[in-house]
Amino acid sequence: MREAPELKERAQELAGRVLKQVRLVTDTTEFMALEPGDVVELQGRRFVLLGTEFEGRFGLDEQPKHWVKRSRDLEDGSPRILKLVFHEEFVLPIGQFKIRCFRSPAKEARILELVRGHPHFMQGHTLYDAAGNPVRVLERIRGGPLDQLLSDMEMEHQQYYQLHLRGVLERLVPVFQALAYLHRQGERHGDVRRDHVFVDQDSGTWRWIDFDYNFDFRENPYGLDLFGLGNILAYAVARGEVTLYWIKRQRPELVDGLSADDFSPIIKNRLMNLGKFFPYLPRRLNNVLLHFSAGSRLFYQRVEELLEELGPALEDLPRPAPEEAS
Amino acid sequence: MTLWNRILAAVDDKEASLQAVRYLAGVLGGSDTCRVMLLAVLQRPLADAVPDPAQRKALTAEKRRQLSESLAAARKELVEAGIPAANVEAHLEEAGGRTVGETILARQAQGGYGTVVVGRRNLSKAEEFLFGSVSSDVVHRAANFSVWVVA
Repeated sequence: MREAPELKERAQELAGRVLKQVRLVTDTTEFMALEPGDVVELQGRRFVLLGTEFEGRFGLDEQPKHWVKRSRDLEDGSPRILKLVFHEEFVLPIGQFKIRCFRSPAKEARILELVRGHPHFMQGHTLYDAAGNPVRVLERIRGGPLDQLLSDMEMEHQQYYQLHLRGVLERLVPVFQALAYLHRQGERHGDVRRDHVFVDQDSGTWRWIDFDYNFDFRENPYGLDLFGLGNILAYAVARGEVTLYWIKRQRPELVDGLSADDFSPIIKNRLMNLGKFFPYLPRRLNNVLLHFSAGSRLFYQRVEELLEELGPALEDLPRPAPEEAS
Repeated sequence: MTLWNRILAAVDDKEASLQAVRYLAGVLGGSDTCRVMLLAVLQRPLADAVPDPAQRKALTAEKRRQLSESLAAARKELVEAGIPAANVEAHLEEAGGRTVGETILARQAQGGYGTVVVGRRNLSKAEEFLFGSVSSDVVHRAANFSVWVVA
């Protein structure tokens, strides 16, 4: 890292403000020491750092991700996200389980190569710093996460069901197909959540983001991804989470008719048999959701199995007239 | 060709597989007409999980040692039950990107084993959903051979 006054003018121009100092960084290993205004050099390309990215999780306070930096390409000014190398190992609580997860920059770099040009994945490539760290240089997606899009639709569920559900699920199917593609290449997403489906406001496409999580499941390598798909599907159908707590508050008369089999086997208070809460849901769609319930005799092991049943189930959903859906 | 008296028994370092071997010894003890292949499957640590090659190598060696010990103990159990030593083989195979279930099934097809024996841990539905189960995998994919699941 050295002072680089020769880069100051261009860095200030891209940062849109006066910078006290500009340093040229060739080794990003100590990413906590990086500051806005620093210029990171990766295989001859230079990026001025603008700040740190934050991530919220389902309405919780946003946490800084110090290894993820907003930047601009010094040459053409294009906005880029730089994901620096951060080897993190942690225990992820999922329901009653504690699952050992780890961040793998190498995995995300591999997947970026695999999905180059694929409309349903974030795009980017990997450049190395002088210390050999694989830094993922990502295109910035303007938009917001899927759950935000759905929660912004302020209307009664029955109206959502009549006007939007079919359209939402028709847009979700190719996103699920994209995950199946990844699995066929022997890779998994690793952190399938509704806020990791990003709605690209420029192209209108829905894209998977953030695939650097991995875990060491060998017998059912895609099990955690499938679990995540079930949660996203249920969220999209219900336009929210239907939990036992919520049912007790909103529809207490239903509680006696519910059993443990109606809920997720993993998140035991999350209703998956949504037909019991929304009786107008078609049977075939509810049957798909039942595969993610504790009462299921057979769980999906591949995304294709889910899609084979979800596709026909969409035919049962109301198709609104174009003027109604707008 | 599938030979019904050729038996493939999966072995690992868990109690369920040792229990399956004890069951096999109880059922086949004294028989000299069957041939048993004890198979242990080695899964190397993922490079994503253990980026350091030296650490990966050490972990692999430790796992190999544990599985070899389990194979030796299983073989001893069967021979002591009266199955001729010449009829009991032990083999350690690398999964090489396959699941343990897939590796067992590949070996079954290759050797024409008529019976596959697997232990079953007492997994909950949630565990099976998330983590999978070797015995379930073998049972679901079995065709033209029998599977003994020892729970």
